[in-house]
Formats: sequence, C-alpha cells, structure tokens
Amino acid sequence: MSDNKHLVCKTNEVSPGNQKIVQVGRMSIGIFNIDDGYHAMLNVCPHQGAALCEGPVCGTSAQTDKAEFIYCKDEALVRCAWHGWEFDIKSGEFLVDPNIKAKTFPVSVDGDDIYVHM
Amino acid sequence: MIIDVDCHNYWSSAEVLLPYMDKHHRDYFVRGEQPGPRGAFPHGHRPWLHPEGFKRADINPMKEEDNYTIMKAKHLDHYKIDYAVLTGDEAIEASTLANPHYASALVRAYNDYQVEEWLPRDERFVGSIVIAPQDPHMAAAEIRRLGHHPRMVQVLASHGATRPYGDPFYHPIYEACAEVGLPFAIHLGGQGGINSNPIGAGPTTYFWETHAILPQSAMTHMASMIAQGVFEKWPSLYFVIIECGVAWVPSVLWRLDANYKALRKETPWLKRLPSEYFKDHIRFTTQPLERPDNLEHLWSVLEAMDGENTLMFASDYPHWDYDDINNLHIPPAWREKILGGNAMQVYQRLQALEASKKAA
Repeated sequence: MSDNKHLVCKTNEVSPGNQKIVQVGRMSIGIFNIDDGYHAMLNVCPHQGAALCEGPVCGTSAQTDKAEFIYCKDEALVRCAWHGWEFDIKSGEFLVDPNIKAKTFPVSVDGDDIYVHM
Repeated sequence: MIIDVDCHNYWSSAEVLLPYMDKHHRDYFVRGEQPGPRGAFPHGHRPWLHPEGFKRADINPMKEEDNYTIMKAKHLDHYKIDYAVLTGDEAIEASTLANPHYASALVRAYNDYQVEEWLPRDERFVGSIVIAPQDPHMAAAEIRRLGHHPRMVQVLASHGATRPYGDPFYHPIYEACAEVGLPFAIHLGGQGGINSNPIGAGPTTYFWETHAILPQSAMTHMASMIAQGVFEKWPSLYFVIIECGVAWVPSVLWRLDANYKALRKETPWLKRLPSEYFKDHIRFTTQPLERPDNLEHLWSVLEAMDGENTLMFASDYPHWDYDDINNLHIPPAWREKILGGNAMQVYQRLQALEASKKAA
C-alpha cells in the first residue's frame, strides 16, 4: 500500500450493506460496508462519468441457460445511480464487460477509523 | 453467383390449391365465405388497401402458365439469376386466420402445390416451407413433414404476428427448424385478422404511408428473438427478415446493447451483447433498400450493421417496388457477398445443391 493514506470517516458512519460518499481532495469516493469489510470506489462511472457510488448496493441474477432467476452477489454490487450499470464493489468490474472497470482503492481500518490508500 | 432470396411465385387464382386440399377444408374453400372475388385466398384482411394492386404494371399473366414464363423471361434469364428462393405470395396471409386448422390446411396445400408445380419447372427454384404460426405445433409438424426436401431452403411466416416471434409460445417452430437444419424467415405481410397490431398506435390510412412504417413489427421481432434467448437455445439457427427495410437496424441494435448493459439481470440466459447475436444469427434482405438523396448516408448506416456480411440480395419480383439488380445501391466491394455469398452461408441446403450440380 502506498503511503498516500487518507482518513475518510469513522466505521459507524457506514452502515452494513450501505455506502457513504466522502471527499478526498477534489475526488468524490464511495466507501462501502459489505459483508467482507470496507471498500472504496471512485464515484465516477466509466460509462458516462455519473455518480456511480450513489446508486443502490444490491445483488443481481446469475447467468443461466434457461428462464430461471438465481439471485446472486447479494450486496456485492453497486448499480450506477444514472444508467444502472452493475459493478462489482470489490474488483470494480462491470458485469457485462469485465474490461470496463470502475476505479477502486485499497482500504484499511484502524480502530474506528477508515483509511483510503491512493 | 446471384441468389434472389425474395422471388414471388404468383398464381392466377388460389383455386390452384384445391387439388392439394383434404375434402373437409376443400369444402370451406369452395362453399365458405371468402374475403374477395372467387378464387381469392382466404385471409383476414388489413385495413388499408393498395390503390394499384401489388404487381409491376408490365407483368400481366393471363393464364396460369404465364406466371412462370414471364418470370423466366423478365427476371431469371434477364438478370442471370442462379437461384431464386420462392416466397409465394398470398400463402403467408394464412397467418391472419383465427382458425388454425384451416390456416394450416391452406399452407400445407400451398407447400405441396409449390413442390409439385413450381420447383420442377426450373432448376433455379428453391422453396420456402410456409407455415401458419398461430399454432406452433401444427407449424412444427409441417416443418418436419417437408423439412428434408432437398430443395426447401427455409421456413417462412409473415411478419405480421399475434405476438413477438421470440416468445416461448413459438419455440416449437425453432425446435423443428433446428432439427431439419433450415433458417426461419419472416416476410413483410400478414397484417389484419388476428394479427391485429402490426402498427404501433393503430391502423394507418394510406398504403404508401403504411409500407414505410411496417418495419415496426420487424423491430419487435428482432428484439424479441434476441432477448428471449432463441439463439442460445438453437445456436445454429438463422433468422431472416425479408422486405422490412434495413436502415433502422443499427439504431435498434445500439439501443438494445445500451439497455442490456444496464439491465442484463432481466435476461440471465443471454451470454453476449444483443448486437453479437445479431451478427451471428440475423440476416436482412436488400429490397426495398432505403434511398436517401445522399447515398453516403445509406452506406454509413449499412456499415454500422455490418451490411457486407448481414445483407442478402432480394428483388421482390414482381412487386411494385421491385429492385433492379444492376442498380442496387450498395458499396461495389460488397456486391459478391450480398448478391450470393451471404445467402450461400445462410441457406446451407444451397451448398448441397451446388455440390451435387458440380458432381453431376
């Protein structure tokens, strides 16, 4: 992790299964609290620059071979607030095309403090 | 190689079908109610009327035999057509009838008439198995009955339909197509009767007005076939859209791709972008090719739909908006593929015919 470490908020400011939008310098960043911990994603959608992290944290339907709907990735995705593109919160990957990625940042927690590393 | 994928074989009267009908349905035909004069093909009519009829005015068959001899002289020989895919004429209108038994009997009779009286006349002819899609199980039976005929190259229905063609209701048809190895094609037509909503917002008034917007239904069918996963279920199936225009295709594909990127969760059975299914499975025919004042405008649209690989030449002989093969407004470098190469790919039965011709 780089030394460029920013204290962004307290752990109790991000409720489980939700996100908080924070400002680091001129950058807007989404801090997510999902089951395996805290994650950070640039609040800019690679599609059209919309406020990606202000969309719902949710799951989706898994790819199948027939007309069945298998709910998956519960609370592991954020749907962009504007056009609904689905991004994996941990990897930043766009589900339809993994070559398209939202920018993510490493996160560390020290006591009650959440840090984003840039 | 020139393959005309939309060549209409006319009859002077639908009564040519009588010898091919069972006695039960022959009674319907002979004594039953008809939509037009004696000899008219039974169908539920559309609300608008062509003011001049559909035919080129220079094509006037007086007796049954003329339907072929005029076509041979003015079209097949004149333009040196190698193969003409027969698309019939009124037969696809059977899709407008509420009674699926009668509709299926009519298309069965038409198909037998085509096999007996058209295909043997000219070795350039190949046929279409016309189906009445309102009963997909009867349609599938008809596909299986004739599907292995060496000169039947596709299954054909009207583009007017009671519901979008990707609907699982129709899947028995594609099951049968895949089984016999034939593409599923739809041709402009079949408005009226039970196909009551071929035009969004309700019936139009004039024929020329209507003709320009009939692609609406084709848009619906294209989107439906992709969205319902027909090409995932039958990965070898081709879907051919005949005479529905082409310039609209890129705009619909662009929208489908964009919307899928946002809402893929609705159709988890899809594995690729809608436009990728299009390129591998859907083909369009040229006639009537749009004619902007500036041809470059058309060509850039055709390029956006990979027209070099997705378009097939069609004349629409002998209809009023017939296209002359020598005045086809496509990029010259694409001619070989569009005039024949692409059709050879889609109509695999033609490949077998060519091979046997060369062996002979």
